[in-house]
Parts: sequence; structure tokens; C-alpha cells
Amino acid sequence: MEHHASYLATLLTNLLHLARHPWGSFAHGQALSILERYDHLFAAVLATLVIMALALATRIKLSRIPGPFQQTMEFLITFVRNLVADNIAHHPDRYVPLIGTLGLFILLNNLFGLAPGLPSGTGNWNVTLACALVVFFYYNFHGMKSQGFLRYLGHFAGPVWFLWWLMWPLEILGLLSRILSHSLRLFGNIAGEHVVSLIFFTLVPLLVPVPLMVMGLFFGMIQAFVFIMLATIYVSGAVSHDH
Amino acid sequence: MKKFLTTAFLFTLATFAFAEGTAATVATKSLFEGQFLAHLSLAIAAAGCGLAQGKAVVAACEGIARNPQAAGNIRTTMIIGLALIEALVIYVLVAAFAVK
Repeated sequence: MEHHASYLATLLTNLLHLARHPWGSFAHGQALSILERYDHLFAAVLATLVIMALALATRIKLSRIPGPFQQTMEFLITFVRNLVADNIAHHPDRYVPLIGTLGLFILLNNLFGLAPGLPSGTGNWNVTLACALVVFFYYNFHGMKSQGFLRYLGHFAGPVWFLWWLMWPLEILGLLSRILSHSLRLFGNIAGEHVVSLIFFTLVPLLVPVPLMVMGLFFGMIQAFVFIMLATIYVSGAVSHDH
Repeated sequence: MKKFLTTAFLFTLATFAFAEGTAATVATKSLFEGQFLAHLSLAIAAAGCGLAQGKAVVAACEGIARNPQAAGNIRTTMIIGLALIEALVIYVLVAAFAVK
């Protein structure tokens, strides 16, 4: 795929007089500054800063009679908490911070992709792969912590003990392929949405892409929801055990 | 349905036959190579995904119509299922991106 540097990255490069140099075989050896080359990471950092600012703003003005802003944030947190509590029976609150943060991060990155001139993090596989890897290590860690290392490895053998030689490798393969499916689903959706809106913009630049972008808004939210929902299901599958 | 599937199958076979035939003869760029094949496979995947998602949504709607109180649970499960079905098309899309 060609590389289209976002307008914001180009603007900042020009404002800050960053050095541009060619990046080997990347983007046909075009001269790009470091911001333009890594503008998906730029978007990720931007999203992180926005989340931190929102959290700090909520924290500072925390009151017993919540204003509209605090109510919105409380709604978001309650939403994630209910989602996690519906799926994980024991200590759901332990998993809310990571899953909620991931949800906000991905949602913001998806929405960045719709704003003209802003870079989008989740339209790049590197960012979604990082998110999926974090979730992968997270639920494996918690599975080992709550079940014990050997019991966690053993629960891949399935319920029928004499089929373990068949089930165990398959389950491990399924576990590893979850990383790929989890990250590619988000990346493909967002990147596909970008490609389609780019094609529509080149065909008819006025008004016609707007319904498509409304759909992109909707799909951005759905995909963020699906990502955290699947993360919750993975965690619940890893930590659940019968007493 | 059967006729459609047969036609699709024959068309796929013809595509492969064309691709091999041209690859064997000369190095001229054929229509049935690279990007065209990727886009065709994306169309086939999207058709299958449409059928599957339609079935899923029909089942969910029937479930909600019979028991409106379970709408929340059914909707969540449906969205997860739709995302899993959609993922298959997304794989083809990513593969189509990868084809130069």
C-alpha cells in the first residue's frame, strides 16, 4: 500500500522544521520526516494524551453531584464494567482498567481516522497487533495466576482425557491464531473503511462520502466494542475454573 | 442456489485455467493475475459473508420478536457472531491489500 502522510504530521513537520530523508524501500523511497513515517504511532500517542487529559479532568472536578461531563465519563465506565461483569464471574473489577482503557484507545483511534487531516492509529497493523499482543499476554498471565501454571496448560487438553494428544496442539494453535484474528479484524475494518472513503472522495468529493462516513462512525464504535468484548471473553475463558 | 453455486464453481475453475495458460506462454500481463484475482476473491468472500450474516440477523430478529425481554443478550451475541463472520472477509481483504 502507498503511504499517505496525514495533514497534521506534514504541518507539524513544516512548523518544527524536522529533517526529511528517504526511507529505503518504504513509500517508493520518498523523503519523509519521522513524524510522517510513523504517523500511526503519532496518532496512538495523541489518543493516549487525550485519554489522560480526560481522566485528569474528571479526577480533578470529581463531585457528588455530577455535571454533564462527569456523567458521560461515568456512563462509559459503567458500560465497560457491566460488560466485564456480565462475562467474568469472579473479581470482574480487576479487569476493568485495562479493558476500558483499550476500548477508549481504540475508539479514539477509530474516530481519528474519520477526522480530516488527523492520522489514524488503528488503520495500521502495527498498532492493532500491539493491542492484540497486550491482550494475549494479559489473559495468559491471569489464567496462569488464577489456575496455576500447570493446570492452565492442562486445561487446553479438553474434557476427555484420552484425546489430549489431539486437543492440546489444536488448542495451542487456536490460542496463537487468536492474536492474528483479533488484530486483523480491527485493522482490516478500519483500513478498508479508509480505502473505501478514499475511493468515494476521488469519485465525488462533495456530499456523497458523508453517509459513508456516518457509517464509518458507527462501525468505529462497533469495532471498538467488539475488540473489548472479545478481550473480555478471552480473559473469562482463561480465568474461569470449576471448584 | 444450486445453479448459482455451479456457475461460481465453473467460473473459478475457468479463472485458474486462464491463469495457468497465460503464465505458461508469455510474460504478458494477464487479466487473471494479481490484483484482479484478489478483487474477485474478495467479491466471492463478500457474497458468502452476506448470506451468512443474513442468516444470523434473521435468527436474531426471530429471537427478539418471540422474546423481546432477551433483546439485550441476543443483540450482544449477534454482534459478536457478525464480527466473527466478518473477520473471514477481512482476511481476504488483507490478502488483497498484500497483493501488489
